[in-house]
Amino acid sequence: MNLWLLAASLAWTQGAASFDDLVSQAAAARERNDVPRAIELYSQAVQLRPNWVSGWLFLGSMQYTAGSYAAARDALTHFIETAPDPGPAFALRALCEFEIEEYERSLADIQNSTTLGGPNLRVKEETLRYYKSLALTRLGRFDDALNNDSFFAQRQTTSPDILVAVGLAGLRMSLLPREIKQDQQDLLMSAGRAALEFMAGDEKRATEAFENLSQHFPQAPGVHSLYGYFLLASDLHRAVVEFKRELEIAPTNPEACILLAWALLMQKNPSAALPYAETAEEKSPGASTTQLVLGRSLSETGHLATGIAHLERALQLAPDDLEIHIALADAYSRSGRTDDAQRQRLQCLQMTKDGANRVALP
Amino acid sequence: MRCHRLLAGLLTGLAASYAMAADSSPKVQSACASCHAAQTAYQPQTPMAHALLPSGENPTLAAHPKLTLRKGAYAYSIETHDRKSTYNVTDGAHTISLPIRWTIGQRMQTWIFEREGRYYQSRISYYPTIDGLEITVGDERLIPKSLDEAVGRELKHAEARDCFGCHSSNAVSKGELTLASMQPGVTCEHCHEGTTTHLWNALQGVLDSPPPSLKKLPAEDVSNFCGQCHRTWETVIRNGIRGEANVRFQPYRLANSRCFDGSDPRISCTACHDPHQNLVRDDSTYDETCQSCHSRASRDPAAAGSEAKLCPVSGSRCTTCHMPKVKVNSPAGFLTFTDHQIRVVRPGDPYPN
Repeated sequence: MNLWLLAASLAWTQGAASFDDLVSQAAAARERNDVPRAIELYSQAVQLRPNWVSGWLFLGSMQYTAGSYAAARDALTHFIETAPDPGPAFALRALCEFEIEEYERSLADIQNSTTLGGPNLRVKEETLRYYKSLALTRLGRFDDALNNDSFFAQRQTTSPDILVAVGLAGLRMSLLPREIKQDQQDLLMSAGRAALEFMAGDEKRATEAFENLSQHFPQAPGVHSLYGYFLLASDLHRAVVEFKRELEIAPTNPEACILLAWALLMQKNPSAALPYAETAEEKSPGASTTQLVLGRSLSETGHLATGIAHLERALQLAPDDLEIHIALADAYSRSGRTDDAQRQRLQCLQMTKDGANRVALP
Repeated sequence: MRCHRLLAGLLTGLAASYAMAADSSPKVQSACASCHAAQTAYQPQTPMAHALLPSGENPTLAAHPKLTLRKGAYAYSIETHDRKSTYNVTDGAHTISLPIRWTIGQRMQTWIFEREGRYYQSRISYYPTIDGLEITVGDERLIPKSLDEAVGRELKHAEARDCFGCHSSNAVSKGELTLASMQPGVTCEHCHEGTTTHLWNALQGVLDSPPPSLKKLPAEDVSNFCGQCHRTWETVIRNGIRGEANVRFQPYRLANSRCFDGSDPRISCTACHDPHQNLVRDDSTYDETCQSCHSRASRDPAAAGSEAKLCPVSGSRCTTCHMPKVKVNSPAGFLTFTDHQIRVVRPGDPYPN
C-alpha cells in the first residue's frame, strides 16, 4: 500500500515537473518569437493539463499569429468556456472567425467583447471596428457598417485601410479589401474619405469631398447613392436629385430605387415614391427595405390593405427594424385598426427607449 | 352672383399686389379674405401668424428699449431705437454689435443674425415669464470659448431651412432657403400650397384649381401635416426624445393616446383647434369634442361593446384631468404645456413616454 502511494506520488511529481518545463520552454519560445515551437510546446502543455486555462489563451494567440485561424478559434473557445474573465479572448476569436469567413460569429464575438468590456490588451478598439466594418460589408449590411464607421470619423482616422473599408460600405460593394481590383483603389479611398468627412459633421468639407468624388468618378455605380444616402437626414431635395442621378447610371438598381422611394416618402410624396418602390420589388422582392417602401407607398396613397400586406411581409423579413414598426403603426391607424396601431406604437417606444435604434433610414 | 362677388373682391384685394410671385402676406391675405372671410378675419392676429417677426416689427423689443443680461464673462444688451434693434455682446475688452434681422416667436423670443453669409441663433432669448433675458433653450450647456462664440450658435444649412420653413412662409423652395420670397409668420400659403396659383386662376375666372382640401384629411394625415412643424409621432420616435421635453410635440403625444384613431376625424388636431383662430384657453370649450365619443348620445347601437367609456367623475372640463398641465424646466424657470396624451391620470404616475 505504501509502495503504491509512493509510486503515485512520484508519477505526479514527475508530471508536474514535466508540465512546468513545458510552460517555461513555451514561454521562452514565445519570447524569442519562435511561433511554431511555442505552438508545439503550448499544445503539449494543455494536453497534459487541459484545465490550465491560460495555456489555451497562449496557444490561441500563437496559432492566430501563425495564421492557423481555425485551430486558434478552437483554443480560444477552450479558454472562453473555462476562464473566469474571458473578455479579452472574444476579440481575438472574432478576428480568427473573420479570417475563416465566419462573419456572423465574428460579429457576435466583437459584440461580446464590447459588452463584457474590461481591458482588452490584445486587440485595439480601432482594429475591432475595422473588422466589424468589413464583416458587415461582406454580409451586405452596408448601413450598419456605415454606422460603425462613424467611429473613425469622430477620431479623424484616415489610414488607407480604413478609407477603403468605409468606401466599400459606402459604395455597397460586398467585397473584402483583398478582392478589389487595383483600379478600384482610388475610387474606394475617395468614397471613404467623402463619407468620413460627412460623418465628421463638416458640411463644407463633405460637400467638397463629394463634389470631388462625383467629378472624378461620374459614372461609378454607387457614388451618387452614397451622397444621397448621407443627405437623407439633412436635405431631402438634394438626396432625391442624387438618387435620380444614380438611376441614370443604373436605371434598375434596386438599392437606388429603394433609397429614392424612401426619400420621396420622407418628402410626403408617396405617389412619386410608388413607381420606384414597384421597380425595387421587381428586382429585389426579398429585401425587407423593398417591402417597407412599397408598403408605405401603397398605404399612404390609399391602398391600405395591400400596403399593410407588404409591411407585414417586411416585418417577417426584419422583425427588429424600427422603420417597419413605425410604418405599420401609421398604416393600421389609418385603417382604423387602433389596437394593432397601438401595439406597434408601444413596440416602437420600447425599441427607442434609452435612445436605442435612433435611425431615420430604411 | 358668387362669381361677381368673387371677382370684385379679388380685384380690390389684388389691385395693389400685382407682383404676385413676390407678394407680401397682408395683400394676399386680403385677397383670400374676399372669399374666405371667416378664415382670414382672425388668423393674422394669431401667434402662428407672428411666428417670425422681421426687423423693426417687434412690439416686445419696442416696449423694452434696453434689455441686459450678464452670463459669466460676457455681458449682453439688446437696444432698440427707432424700431431698430441691436444685439450687443461684450467681454469688457471687445464688443460685437449685430442688427437683429429676425425674431423667432411672438412671446418667447430668440433672434437670428446674419454674419458673413451664415445664420446664427442668439445665445440669449427673451422670456415673458421673467420679462427679461436668459440663455436660449437647448443652449444651456454650450460654454463659449470666445466672444464670437458668445454671440450665438451657427445654424447649419438644414437647421436654418427648418427654422425659417416653420416660422415663415415661402422661405424654402426645392430644399433651399429662399429668403427673398419669404413672408414672415404662417400665412395662407404656408399650409394651403398653391394659394398663389389659385388666386391667379380665380382672377381669370378659373375656379377649379383650389389648393388641396385639408378638411378631408384623415386624422393621421392631419397629425402628420401639423407635425411638419409641431413634430410628427415618427420624428419624435426616430430622435428618441423621451420625458417631459416631448410635451411640446403635440401630434406625438396625441398619437400615444389610447383613444387615437387615425381614421376618425373626431380625434384629429383640427377637431379641437382651428388654426385660423387664437388658441382657446377655456377648458370647457373642448368638452364637446370629448363627448363626440364619450357620451351616451354618441353611442352607436351597432357597435355595442366597443363604445368609448363614460367618465364616472364629470361630464365637463374633461381636459383638466385627462390632459394635465406639465411643467418643463427652462433657463428662465418652468414653462407650462398641456399634455396631449389623453389618458386617465392617477396620482403619482410618472410622465409616460
